[in-house]
Amino acid sequence: MANGQIALTLLMGVLLVAVAAFLTRIEDWRSYTPLAGGGGGTAEESGYAHEEKPGGLIRWLTTVDHKDIGMLYGTYALATFTIGGLMVMIMRAELLDPAATLIESTTYNGLLTSHGITMLFLFGTPIIAAFSNYFIPLIIGADDMAFPRINAIAFWLLPPGALLIWAGFFVPGLAPAQVGWTMYAPLSVGVGAGTQSGAGVDLMLLGLHLTGVSATMGAINFIATIFTERAEDCTWANLDIFSWTILTQSGLILFAFPLLGSALVMLLLDRNFGTTFFAVEGGSPILWQHLFWFFGHPEVYILFLPPAGLISLILPKFSGRKLFGFKFVVYSTLAIGVLSFGVWAHHMFTTGIDPRIRGSFMAVSLAIAIPSAVKVFNWITTMWNGRVRLTAPMLFSIGTISNFIIGGITGVFLAAIPVDLVLHDTYYVVGHFHYIVMGVLGFMTFAGLYYWFPIFTGRMYQRTLAKWHFWLTFVGTQLTFFAMLLLGYLGMPRRYATYDFPIGPVDPVTALHQVATLGAFLIAIGFVIHVWNFVQSWSEGPILEDEDPWNLKEIGQYTREWEWHHRRMETAIADGGDEEVATDGGKESNEEELTTDGGENVSETDCSD
Amino acid sequence: MGVADDTEDHGGHHLPAVEDWPQGFGEASWWPFVSAAGGAGIYVGAALFIMTSGGSDLVPQIAGPAVIVGSIGLFLVGLYGWLYHAFVSAFWSGGTDEHGSRTLRFAMLLFLGTEVSTFGAGFIYYFFIRAGAWPPAELPPLVSSLVLANTALLVLSSVTLHYAHVGLRKGNRGRFLGLLAATLVLGAVFIGGQVFEYYEFIVHEGFTLTDGIFASAFFGLTGLHGLHVTLGAVLLGIVFVRSLFGQYSAERHTSVSTVSMYWHFVDVVWIFLVVVLYVGAVIGGAA
Ligand code: HEM
Ligand SMILES: [Cu+2]
Repeated sequence: MANGQIALTLLMGVLLVAVAAFLTRIEDWRSYTPLAGGGGGTAEESGYAHEEKPGGLIRWLTTVDHKDIGMLYGTYALATFTIGGLMVMIMRAELLDPAATLIESTTYNGLLTSHGITMLFLFGTPIIAAFSNYFIPLIIGADDMAFPRINAIAFWLLPPGALLIWAGFFVPGLAPAQVGWTMYAPLSVGVGAGTQSGAGVDLMLLGLHLTGVSATMGAINFIATIFTERAEDCTWANLDIFSWTILTQSGLILFAFPLLGSALVMLLLDRNFGTTFFAVEGGSPILWQHLFWFFGHPEVYILFLPPAGLISLILPKFSGRKLFGFKFVVYSTLAIGVLSFGVWAHHMFTTGIDPRIRGSFMAVSLAIAIPSAVKVFNWITTMWNGRVRLTAPMLFSIGTISNFIIGGITGVFLAAIPVDLVLHDTYYVVGHFHYIVMGVLGFMTFAGLYYWFPIFTGRMYQRTLAKWHFWLTFVGTQLTFFAMLLLGYLGMPRRYATYDFPIGPVDPVTALHQVATLGAFLIAIGFVIHVWNFVQSWSEGPILEDEDPWNLKEIGQYTREWEWHHRRMETAIADGGDEEVATDGGKESNEEELTTDGGENVSETDCSD
Repeated sequence: MGVADDTEDHGGHHLPAVEDWPQGFGEASWWPFVSAAGGAGIYVGAALFIMTSGGSDLVPQIAGPAVIVGSIGLFLVGLYGWLYHAFVSAFWSGGTDEHGSRTLRFAMLLFLGTEVSTFGAGFIYYFFIRAGAWPPAELPPLVSSLVLANTALLVLSSVTLHYAHVGLRKGNRGRFLGLLAATLVLGAVFIGGQVFEYYEFIVHEGFTLTDGIFASAFFGLTGLHGLHVTLGAVLLGIVFVRSLFGQYSAERHTSVSTVSMYWHFVDVVWIFLVVVLYVGAVIGGAA
């Protein structure tokens, strides 16, 4: 008990520090001027005498500019990543030894539930939205998103959603939800002697619903933007790969999230108003699983496809070659999108559903491995005989490919019913999906952040620190999640706070758990280095004079967002440079000059590379 | 919202929010933030309500409903400002914007796609109990003259709305206004009919939300649908008021067509619902 309290206090302390750090960043942002305009009421790009944005905090609360909203999403996602990461650090520390020594198992369950939900809904979807908000309009040559205000409202629904989801931890009288991220009935309906009938669960469901509304609004906006806001020279034929993946992902969100939303409301009604949607004598707990996984499997591809698009975007830039088999990468993306609605019952092989249904879901699940493999082969072939430059974004992309191979192949094993009957609900499953959510989504988050760092900040990150970050993350990921695959083979069940039970050999299990914990701490150290690198390089890194830090022009891959970046730099130079604005803060910007020296003379270029 | 509100154009770069508060900027608006605060507040109010009904004395009993009502107010204020600044205030100076109109209609189509999923979950529950726990212990008298009348009203309202739109397109403003008003009235009567049916069932038949497997499907689906009709009526009301102020013309009718799409969709869902849930339950037979 005491230990649990200390651990929680610690967590809350770190949380407060994180919030404080976040607020000071906002202070910084008062003068956030990446290079040229953009900030503090400076007109941007086209050089007209019209202030686009107010200054200070109000700018961030009122902004409808896709780039600013992208920054908000990014900051939010990194904050939630930190919080979800801290939660899992406590859990990994607890698992160092077989007994319950650090925290109580109820605390463990609460952390487990919140970790999963935080990472998937509060980090995963938002970090993807961060990249797509910032870059999709630039890449396809749109002025902004199709609906800038809806874009803003979708973001502002997220912070209250997060507070509701975490409410069980800090609201007096509430207990954190302990129902797992899958919220299986009848536990989640409130049956049993634990805290699951308490309001902590209800608040979490409400928060989830709110974030789902946000994701759906975002998806509508992205589809509308990509369909109707493309520049004239940006056709379907030359639409870039990242936009294709965002388009497909938004299509999945469009049908998956509203269904989850209704299922959540039905669960809330069951819990509070005596309906029978998921009751044993009503719709049955299996109905929950069907609805949840009809959402849940597309959700995993919602989190996988855009990072895969980022690989396809970044890899060629550092291989000196174009993406191999572009068309096939697009087709495989669409194929995965369609197929992903037809495999959900592979999560339910052990529930006793009709064997004929099981068989067909097994077949489709195995089939989805084909388009996945198409991607992997195209990536490898892209690098083949290329001039590979091992920059930080490239390292993370290559690491992602190896992670995806392991994550994908373990998925194929799990999709085979006989294998799954043995491995279901063991750590093998945990290893499988973490190879993808951490190994692909996590890795590509970092790759994207490094690749576009010059655009965000006008500066360069510290390359040595970035390499440290990569190697710590890569080694840590292998240690943690490969150990989990082995734990699964040994029969270690998932979701347990302790493992001193008399089934199976305790010694190797303990050793593997310790390896996993070690790996997790390596990842954490890497992430601290990353944050440090980011914050420090952002404020003190050398200002980039070069509009092409990755030498993309040389290989003919200087794409639209970099051209935009270049235009912005030129505008800044024409105005006397950003430096002056920064040094003599008094005169924010000179609008007269802006009107005359605007950078309108730069011509547009075509869609992708 | 959308390019429809791109009322100013600077050097090829559209400014999406020139009218909005805080004024004088092109890319700043308080409305999304205000609407989001109101929208999220509704959830917080629901959370407080559940907490207090669960016995928590952290906040007084009244807090939940109060927060909900206040938040709905705030939400509506945000929405009003939003619609006003994005569409209404600069309506006549804006000129026709084919592109913006296309985008908005497309977005409505996408939204209706999400609605298929939203309703889908409820229908799947119903199919599940039909295949499993059926028959229910009791069924209220489902197929009555009330339901038939209500169905007729709703179908008729789709027809009147369609011809209102046609009237507008043909420049016949009188017909447009008249039929739009008729649609609104029909919608309101439909909602009244639904309320009456609930009243009959709950008070006279003793058939309530907690009455077992069919009650969950019935109140869940008709409730969800009722909310949609109500929202549709509010949207129609907005269109009606705007048209009273002289807005819309044969060329400028984006929100008339988006709201029509929504209304027709809700109508179709109703027909499906009547066939499957009302008639289907009776034909399938109760115990
Ligand atoms: C090659 C394609 C894939 C196949 C065939 C596959 C197959 C499976 C199967 C059969 C399971 C159920 C295991 C069980 O519970 O017994 C599973 C679980 C899971 N997979 Fe995959 N998978 C694939 C790719 C992915 C991808 C790309 C993601 C992206 C994040 C992912 C995320 C997950 C998650 C989160 C779970 C666990 C859900 C839970 O029970 O909590 N999988 N996978
Ligand atoms: Cu799956």
